[in-house]
Amino acid sequence: MSTPARRRLMRDFKRLQQDPPAGVSAAPTENNIMIWNAVIFGPHDTPFEDGTFKLTLEFTEEYPNKPPTVKFVSKMFHPNVYADGGICLDILQNRWSPTYDVAAILTSIQSLLDEPNPNSPANSLAAQLYQENRREYEKRVAAIVEQSWLNFQDEDEGEEMKKDT
Amino acid sequence: MENNQTADSEETKSCEYDPNVNQDELIMAQEKQIAEEIKANIAMVGELDDLSSLEREYSNDPVYFSKVATLLPKFSNVRRTRPDGNCFLRGFIFAYLEYCIYHREELTRFKQYLEASKEELFEMGFPKFTTEDFNDMFMEVVTDLEGSGSIDRVEAIINDAGTSDYLVVYLRLLISAHLQKNAEFFSFFIEGGRTVGEFCKQEVEPMYRECDHLHIVALTAALGVGVRVMYLDRGEGSSVVSHDFPEDKDPVIHLLYRPGHYDILYKA
Repeated sequence: MSTPARRRLMRDFKRLQQDPPAGVSAAPTENNIMIWNAVIFGPHDTPFEDGTFKLTLEFTEEYPNKPPTVKFVSKMFHPNVYADGGICLDILQNRWSPTYDVAAILTSIQSLLDEPNPNSPANSLAAQLYQENRREYEKRVAAIVEQSWLNFQDEDEGEEMKKDT
Repeated sequence: MENNQTADSEETKSCEYDPNVNQDELIMAQEKQIAEEIKANIAMVGELDDLSSLEREYSNDPVYFSKVATLLPKFSNVRRTRPDGNCFLRGFIFAYLEYCIYHREELTRFKQYLEASKEELFEMGFPKFTTEDFNDMFMEVVTDLEGSGSIDRVEAIINDAGTSDYLVVYLRLLISAHLQKNAEFFSFFIEGGRTVGEFCKQEVEPMYRECDHLHIVALTAALGVGVRVMYLDRGEGSSVVSHDFPEDKDPVIHLLYRPGHYDILYKA
């Protein structure tokens, strides 16, 4: 059955394919259009550069009136990202507007990476290091950047194997 | 979950605020639960009810009871809307579409307005792809009503969550556009040192944000549709104060305001 949420998600997907924004990609999972996998590439000239961070987006039938639940699957070290990967970002909460689509969400998260908001820390250690010890902060970020590649390889192999069968 | 983070020991403290718990999610979960309860119990726009039902509602409240009595000769019926922060817009669009099915020339005018509004929103920088989606849905509804226009159809459309919410979103975009176009004027009425643009992002465009005076001024001016609001509250005097938006326009829609909520009124 086609509901407004599903119809809109199909349009979001079409748009992502036709007019892909730089540095992000996303697609619905094979069996469920309400759950998407996404990748955000760490922005250039930032400590996150070269990172390939995986995320999931979970939509409800209330999309686009309500935002999806967006979480990092890759390990993240960032002042506004919780230990469970949840993201503290105003447009995903009280400043959500139905005019945002998947591309807008992902590009906003991408810019959040290098522009953290220290006023709403979700990871107090990251927030503290970001403000007081930038060198240590960048070291920790570099570690999760490297880790993001490893995760990526594992998953790729897994997916390829699935395709073969 | 391969990446389930093991909490760093320095972060684990047993205090009331636990940074390892996603506080936003907790708050959102609670808000969601409250919203679900309202949703399960109240239609987005309810059935036509006799106005005497309001009297019964206030049988133990002398102030409201006597004020409702002054409404009775003027109004005969009420339709209650769901109190979800969209009540003004839902009430407005229901009453307006109902008016339009009995005034076809107004429906034609509204359709032309909607068609033109899309380009205007694009020019103002609203995201093309999503704005178009909401406009398309609205055009579909109006085209549908041109053909099979009946009050049953309006009831069905406004109580279909997906469609109804899309109409509400588009009205919010129209309000936002009108406020921003006339930012110089409206900036005097915005509290908290916010710009008109910030106000629109926080209080107008997101769903479930209540409409206040500014929203109503902007919407009725943008659409050129007259609305009379009857204010039923504990204010002084024994009668119900009314206000027309815009002031120079004959009202075609009547709404009943009670603190924090709007319902639809029908003239006797």
